[in-house]
Amino acid sequence: MITAQAIFIGFFGVAAVWFGIVVFRTFSMVRSAIALLFSQTALGAMFLTMEVEFLGVLQIMMMATEMSIMAFFMVMFMMDPGGMGKMDMTHQKRLSMITGIVSFCAAVAIAVFVDWGPIAVTVIDSAAQTKALGLELLGRSMLIFETAGITILTAMIAATAVAIKPIPLKKQIKDKAK
Amino acid sequence: MSVELIWALITGAALFGVGIYGALSQTNLVMIMMGVELILAGALINLVAFWRYLHPDVAAGQMFVLIVMTVMALEMAVGFGIAIARFRSRGSVEMEEAAELKE
Repeated sequence: MITAQAIFIGFFGVAAVWFGIVVFRTFSMVRSAIALLFSQTALGAMFLTMEVEFLGVLQIMMMATEMSIMAFFMVMFMMDPGGMGKMDMTHQKRLSMITGIVSFCAAVAIAVFVDWGPIAVTVIDSAAQTKALGLELLGRSMLIFETAGITILTAMIAATAVAIKPIPLKKQIKDKAK
Repeated sequence: MSVELIWALITGAALFGVGIYGALSQTNLVMIMMGVELILAGALINLVAFWRYLHPDVAAGQMFVLIVMTVMALEMAVGFGIAIARFRSRGSVEMEEAAELKE
């Protein structure tokens, strides 16, 4: 039976996929970053529709920040950030298209033909969900949660170390001689 | 069979397919990272849908989503670090000009 929830999931799903396609169709890099932001936001809206409120809000907040940073980087690094020159920055298009379509078809076939078992119609309210998640994170899954934290710290240090401007060799030798 | 679950899974599959296309077809490092973001977004919607429609009583399902979100953030941070280093040394983040990395 088609419920209001199913209609909204379908609507936001189409929006997420459409904006995902726009990311690679537009020539403007800023538009591309904004399209990705809309795609991720539509995904967050899908989570909210599925009554997974904490993760929905988290998704929208995280992606809004992430995509804003991405837009800055794209303007800095791209040769033609405004897309005025209509530069083609793609290669092996045919192979990529075929691989994308084959992956999509395989995933859809699995989604449609697998028997997923009994479906849960109702879900606990959002406050109880968040409480259960908090207890899970600080209980049984604490080690995994802490590992994620350490990994973030490592990535921050690694990203900073890679991005720091290296001291020229001549200056290093000069400093050593002093 | 739940229509909601199927639609969510189809959305995940479509995002995965678009992401694969983007990651393989783009020549710029930042655009490749966008493709990878879409692939992870596909995984994210699948995880949420499985938790919501199959096992809403187990909170560990939501934790997987948090881990995937962490991976998305890490991928961006490390990717941009590499992009800055590459841009400083070569003045470009075009991957077609980065063939020497293979050697």
